[in-house]
Amino acid sequence: MEKLIEILEEIQPDADYDTCETLIDDGILDSFAILSIVSELQDEFDIVITPADIIPDNFNSAKALWAMVERLQEE
Amino acid sequence: MSLISMEFLLFVILAAAGYYWIPEKYQWVWLLAFSYIYYVSGGIRVTCFLVFTTFTSWAAAAWMEQAAERIKDKKKARQAKRRILALALVLNFGVLGALKYTNFAIDTVNSLFGAEFGSLKLLLPLGISFYTFQSMGYILDVYWGRAKAEHNLFRFALFVSFFPQILQGPIGRYDSLSQQFYAPHAFSWERSQRAFLRILWGYFKKMVIADNAVIFVDAIFGHPDIYDGLGIVGVLAYSVQLYCDFSGGMDVVIGVAELFGIRLDENFKRPYFAVSITDFWHRWHITLGTWMKDYVFYPVSLSGWMKSFSKFAKKTFGKQTGRTLPICLANLIVFLVVGIWHGAAWKFIIYGLYNGLIIAFSGLMAPSYRKWKTALHISDDSPGFHLFQIVRTFLLVNISWFFDRAEDVETAFLMMKNTLTHFNLRQMLEPGIEIGEASGTTYTLAALGVIIAGCLLLFAVSVLEEQGKDLAEIFSRQHWLLKGAVYLGLLLLLPALGQPSGEAGGFIYAQF
Repeated sequence: MEKLIEILEEIQPDADYDTCETLIDDGILDSFAILSIVSELQDEFDIVITPADIIPDNFNSAKALWAMVERLQEE
Repeated sequence: MSLISMEFLLFVILAAAGYYWIPEKYQWVWLLAFSYIYYVSGGIRVTCFLVFTTFTSWAAAAWMEQAAERIKDKKKARQAKRRILALALVLNFGVLGALKYTNFAIDTVNSLFGAEFGSLKLLLPLGISFYTFQSMGYILDVYWGRAKAEHNLFRFALFVSFFPQILQGPIGRYDSLSQQFYAPHAFSWERSQRAFLRILWGYFKKMVIADNAVIFVDAIFGHPDIYDGLGIVGVLAYSVQLYCDFSGGMDVVIGVAELFGIRLDENFKRPYFAVSITDFWHRWHITLGTWMKDYVFYPVSLSGWMKSFSKFAKKTFGKQTGRTLPICLANLIVFLVVGIWHGAAWKFIIYGLYNGLIIAFSGLMAPSYRKWKTALHISDDSPGFHLFQIVRTFLLVNISWFFDRAEDVETAFLMMKNTLTHFNLRQMLEPGIEIGEASGTTYTLAALGVIIAGCLLLFAVSVLEEQGKDLAEIFSRQHWLLKGAVYLGLLLLLPALGQPSGEAGGFIYAQF
């Protein structure tokens, strides 16, 4: 989770990832940021993210993102 | 049947009256019947294409679902689904491409190789781009497991053919629309009033503002040699015309759908207040933008070959640039598609790439912009910087409109050059030059006054909406006498201030 927060802060520094649960709904992460995060997550955690995974539910908070990473690692 | 006609209004009244009179469980059947009556009134032959897309999309989704259930091996099931998906996409985009782009391909081959192939007389079914995109979005959603396949062909047919939106969108999503189409809807006086106000506002934008602005646009863009000093007037008039034409049409469409209790997605969110080109595309033709993002941008960015390019770019250019470059490339591909979608001509390809390049450049430069803003103590919240961003974006958008509206790329560049070197506003007043004469309509100072007054009203409404005010809700709380006067005033203003229909009466995006 720490590594994930590090990635998020490097790509989009202007957000509080500990509390924010509306990263997509409030437009904090745009499509460029989303794909940058996806690229880093794939490299860092050796997972495969597909277009079907790119939904607000998976990207609205750091917690949701981490849950997606864990799920994809198990698959 | 044009959205601006007594026929259409009577059609809507009849459809709505029956919709609330019959048992609620048959409401969707009623809507389907009226949707097909509406479409068939535009021609029987073109209806075959609508039926084709409806059937192939419905069958492909059901077939994919069946394959997933029947084949136990997950990998094999995925491969089977992918083959069905590819077949459906090729068939439907093949039909769209053949009808829309065959003559463009013939012209290109002729001009490149000096060949003399003749153009083909091809039918272009009404709204084919919109209903094809909507249907293909559904198939992809089923493929990715975001939506369940609809088993009832007729229920699915309503999703593809719903009459208010079929001609010019908004491009809907199955998960949101299906829940509304098949649910019972009781009549609501409050909702109907809101819908009626929205419809009237849409007609006002289209008939009073856009159809008056088109006189200037057609004359100046049609005769850039005569009106060489008025390029800036032409492009500003076009920015007004295009916005009021398309968003006005959307107001009518969304209002009519609301009469049936169906809430369609918004397609515009005050685009000329955008602070960047990216922001502009989040506010202009929103449903096309989100369609492109979900069904082209993300799949292309996450494709195998793009992953390989990403690895190569990271090694060659370093982590940050290497990570952003593939995204920029995918973005360029998206805007190339957006350009081609707008029309079969090189000027639209330039229009798309122009937008794509600005967004890609902004994406690459984003970390540097952040550093510069910190060093110069510029805050995004500062009103001065906000205004600067809006003006800069409006300027960039207007440059793109030259490509969108001019006859060809060469004329677009000529008009831009003349705007800088031959600017001469007096051409509007000089005797002998009557703007509008060239396009067959009459230019009067009154028309100019109507556009300016209309734009001021539109601007005031947009500022209030941008501040988060729900004007329709505020209006609904007013005394009935005031509301009646506003309705009556708008109804009387429309024919009095609008241009007689004809060339000006059609919607630009209904040709897509």
